[in-house]
Amino acid sequence: MRLTIERRLDQPRWLAAVVPVVSVAAALVLAGIVLLVTGHDPFSSYRKLFDAAFVQTGSVGQTLIAATPLAFTGLGAAAAFRMRLYNIGGEGQLYMGAIFGSGIGLLLGGAGGASPGVIAAMVAAGCVGGALWASIPGVLRAFFGTSEILTSLMLNYVAGYLLTYLIFQSQSYWRQTKGFNATVFPTGKPLPSNAVWPAWNVHAQGGIPIPLGAFFAVLAGLVLWVLYKRTRFGFEVQVLGDSEGAARYAGVPVRRKILAVMAISGAVAGLGGASQVGDFSHALDGDPNGLQKQAYGYSGIVVAALGRYNPFAVLLVALLIGGLDNAGNTLQGADFPSGLVGVIQGIILFCALGGEVLVRHRLRVARRVAATPELEPVA
Amino acid sequence: MRNRKLALGAILLVVAAAAAVLALGTSPGSARSTAAFKAAWIYVGPHNDGGWSQAHDEGRLYVQKMLGSKVQTTYKENIAVGTQFDQTVSSLRAQGYKLIFATSYGYVTPAVAAKYPDVKFEQATGTLVSKNVSEYFGAAEDTVYLSGMAAGAAAKCNTIGYVVAFPIPEVIRHANAFALGAQATHPGVKVKLVWTNSWFDPSKEKKAAQSLHGSGACVLGQNVDSPATGQYAESVKVPWVGYDSDASKFAPKSWLTASVYNWGPYYLKRVQAAMNGTWKPGFYYGNIQDGFTKLAAYGPGVSAKAKAQIAAKMAYLKSHQNAEFTGPLYDQNGKLRVPKGQKMQVLKGGTNSLYGMNWLVKGVIGSPKG
Repeated sequence: MRLTIERRLDQPRWLAAVVPVVSVAAALVLAGIVLLVTGHDPFSSYRKLFDAAFVQTGSVGQTLIAATPLAFTGLGAAAAFRMRLYNIGGEGQLYMGAIFGSGIGLLLGGAGGASPGVIAAMVAAGCVGGALWASIPGVLRAFFGTSEILTSLMLNYVAGYLLTYLIFQSQSYWRQTKGFNATVFPTGKPLPSNAVWPAWNVHAQGGIPIPLGAFFAVLAGLVLWVLYKRTRFGFEVQVLGDSEGAARYAGVPVRRKILAVMAISGAVAGLGGASQVGDFSHALDGDPNGLQKQAYGYSGIVVAALGRYNPFAVLLVALLIGGLDNAGNTLQGADFPSGLVGVIQGIILFCALGGEVLVRHRLRVARRVAATPELEPVA
Repeated sequence: MRNRKLALGAILLVVAAAAAVLALGTSPGSARSTAAFKAAWIYVGPHNDGGWSQAHDEGRLYVQKMLGSKVQTTYKENIAVGTQFDQTVSSLRAQGYKLIFATSYGYVTPAVAAKYPDVKFEQATGTLVSKNVSEYFGAAEDTVYLSGMAAGAAAKCNTIGYVVAFPIPEVIRHANAFALGAQATHPGVKVKLVWTNSWFDPSKEKKAAQSLHGSGACVLGQNVDSPATGQYAESVKVPWVGYDSDASKFAPKSWLTASVYNWGPYYLKRVQAAMNGTWKPGFYYGNIQDGFTKLAAYGPGVSAKAKAQIAAKMAYLKSHQNAEFTGPLYDQNGKLRVPKGQKMQVLKGGTNSLYGMNWLVKGVIGSPKG
């Protein structure tokens, strides 16, 4: 007897609805067991988790802070994964967006209230920074067939070191050099006041500031949806994703598509970097215990996968994961180890992604090995 | 396409159902007395890192023990500088924690302090004193110097390896003190640095220790948070000087000593001040004399002669804080930085102050720029 996983030829509609429900339920039960074993009441823990993410005073505002960068990196990853172009470099592209965006903000900014012109320039710079960084693996893949998975991943480290260098190891344009505090501990130069992105304040929960970046993320989602669903470009990307051979045969310019999709993917992640600076940190954050520790780029890959590369679903998932992330901060403490928070988050993600596999594939118990039909391996 | 929509709808339904169940369930644990004063600590690494954060957490537990049910303390660990710190402060504040000990510089920025004016911030190692921000630290360079003396005495070769975090004045000051101490017991000894660019990163710290040992260091020391360097030192049987906490249990044979902090009494004083309304922002710099900095118990590798030398120097430093930074002091290039008889001050003097030092003393191998 052996267990095999094979691709479903047709996906029954009921399954698509039942699997997510069962996965989330399974996650809650599994995590509940872990909680019970470690001496925590699962119900009150879940309740606290939910409260901390969406109910308690100020929680939605904090969840949005965590969700906004995930939306960008999730959209960026989804845009590339659609074409089976595995851009793992969202992390580095986000850093480059932050470097470019803050550079332009410092250069053009001045006194006074938020300036649409400066913000637009920062958005553009962020997109350019991310797109350029993503184009390096793009070019290598398009012209030399180098695996974009490896090159984009490696460039994350390069971008991280560049970030550290700009603040900690040099007297760069991005670094605050005035005042004694800046000598004691290196920090980024604060953006001039008109380069700080405004937030739209909703009067609920004691004030929920919706960052400008969140609107840009929704806009980016909308643009990506239109691009991929309603244009010839998007259709060609889909075909290319399904079968490169077929696409070539149909005359799709493969090289140009690889370059374009990598640039788009990087631009979206880079915009996330500009938003990070404009919306939240208001200075380039070079601390490896800061932006680099958050790993928004890597989390974005999970967000993209859970959202099945659908831009709207990605936005929704980013909000949920952002909530989970934010709640994790609140939950952990003297009586609740942060490792346990990580375990619960991990179980939920694992079950959600595991469920995905079951929608497209099925488990088969094959009693006679000889009779097994030819199987398609699961990636 | 339909399947996707259906799936999305189902997820939403589950989330909504879960929300409803949770909303109808018991209210979150408010059984605890609300009369207790709430104070929170924020750590850059795990609370039991065997070093920096653990020393702070022991201080927190000391406060809890001394004040009992009058105070409720908690901590948040592995908190990133920047937006995550902001999120953490926001949620702590919502839970009624209005006194927050941020145990790493970089956490509290003027913007954060202004955003939460009703929160009293206490930040370790910085200089940013304002209406609701206090700064605190201590003259660890004195005890680091003494631990350097132990390293120098134990060195049978001419190179000591020192694993360091960030190229910032705090770490540079400690590296310099360590080197000066080592040179006091072992004239001419070189101290070689490897930067990890992180406060807590056991794997990088281990690699740094490996590379230092591989390039000829026969004693290892550190200015990072985890005991990874010590564990490596134990495995290759070379003496090790720790930092922040007594981590002898991680390397019982290699352990020499370490400069350690006793944060508890300061924390107690500040929590009490906040409780009775006398809390005022300030800058505290503890020392050996007031018991803030100490030398941990010696390991087997410290000779009787070294112990006597260290004891004599410690007695002197008790009444002469920071005496090790008295001129003549030369930098790596042999240039005279501090003239004879002049002592560096804590805050005054720009790059010739303890808090602004950006150059390494003679005999240190490595770049002060990381």
